[in-house]
Amino acid sequence: MNTLAPPLVPNRLNKVPEAVLTFWIIKIMCTTVGETGADYLAVNAGFGQGVTRAVMGALLAVALFVQLRKHRYTPWIYWLTVVLISVVGTQITDLLTDGLGVSLYVSTSAFAVALAGIFAVWYWVERSLSIHEIFTRRRELFYWSTILCTFALGTAAGDLATEALGLGFAWGTVAFSTLIAMTYAAWRLGGNAVLTFWIAYILTRPLGASLGDMLTQSKTYGGLGMGAMWTSALFLTVIVMLVADEHVNFGTGRRNT
Amino acid sequence: MRSLHPLTRTVAALSAIALLILAAGCSQSTDTGTAGSASVATSQATSAPMAKAASKLGDLSAFQTIAADVATLVDKGDLAAAKTRVKDLEVSWDSAEAGLKPRAASDWHMLDKSIDHALSALRADTPSQADCKSAMVELMTTFDSLQAKP
Repeated sequence: MNTLAPPLVPNRLNKVPEAVLTFWIIKIMCTTVGETGADYLAVNAGFGQGVTRAVMGALLAVALFVQLRKHRYTPWIYWLTVVLISVVGTQITDLLTDGLGVSLYVSTSAFAVALAGIFAVWYWVERSLSIHEIFTRRRELFYWSTILCTFALGTAAGDLATEALGLGFAWGTVAFSTLIAMTYAAWRLGGNAVLTFWIAYILTRPLGASLGDMLTQSKTYGGLGMGAMWTSALFLTVIVMLVADEHVNFGTGRRNT
Repeated sequence: MRSLHPLTRTVAALSAIALLILAAGCSQSTDTGTAGSASVATSQATSAPMAKAASKLGDLSAFQTIAADVATLVDKGDLAAAKTRVKDLEVSWDSAEAGLKPRAASDWHMLDKSIDHALSALRADTPSQADCKSAMVELMTTFDSLQAKP
């Protein structure tokens, strides 16, 4: 359970990727694209929050269905599922906060408790929280529920930092990068690999949001003024490049000897 | 083959970062082209002289100008045109959220709620002149109250 260092020969049965540098870069970018993309559909394209939620929920259901049917790690569908979970996780938090008026303190703690609950049940049933051995339907469902929960928690915690501490995106980027660096150091110094992986997974949600804001926000607010459309297009291009590279390396299954 | 992976990965990662930096540099020129946030920025700069005491959220005159347009259209009874114009307010307000909100979250929420009221009044299935008018009066009052604050 305490080994996150990539094994020399990747587990061909594992349906999810190893947590290497590319994994984190794609993950952070998916976060940004998920948020700006959903926002674009709801506001700029004028579909409204209700329709956007329904469409994204349906797309996620389809993507998850396809992902569950695959017998091994298939980069494009895996990352498509992550982008859609990123969108839906964000929408759940936004719905609670803006729609139902739930305080961010309440939602942050509730998601933290829910996440701990999922881990407890996962460990109780499987006797392991390893992300290296996701090869049964049940384990995979635990994995994806956890991911949905970390995105909702990451959104709520990040928003709370903005609301309660007045943390803008510039300081947010610094703060969340520092926390991630500390998590990385803790892992290198022998900290629990599963725990540090999921902590980093939560923290990369607000980091992705802060980085995205830094690029999209106009210069008046200290951003780079690229706008949501160009930022999304750029990130999407990089994601597609990196995922295509994953396909070259992993997808065929013949080149990994 | 396996030994190539870390290299490919590093190259991919570095190219991703290089692209980002390149894009950031290019944004100097593309900035003026991106309609939404950039036009807010420029119109804020030009209309700044007439601004009153700035609120804790900073200069809100760009948003206030659009809101005033909407209010005028509502007064004239042209609710359809008002509905069209209020979308500009929605889009520019929404895209500036990450920049404005951290400055004063509670003020931001106050204004956000007022804008929401105006949006739902104007977007009702059968918008009523009275509802739209009161929502716009409320919104303009909120703008004034935020700017009157020290």
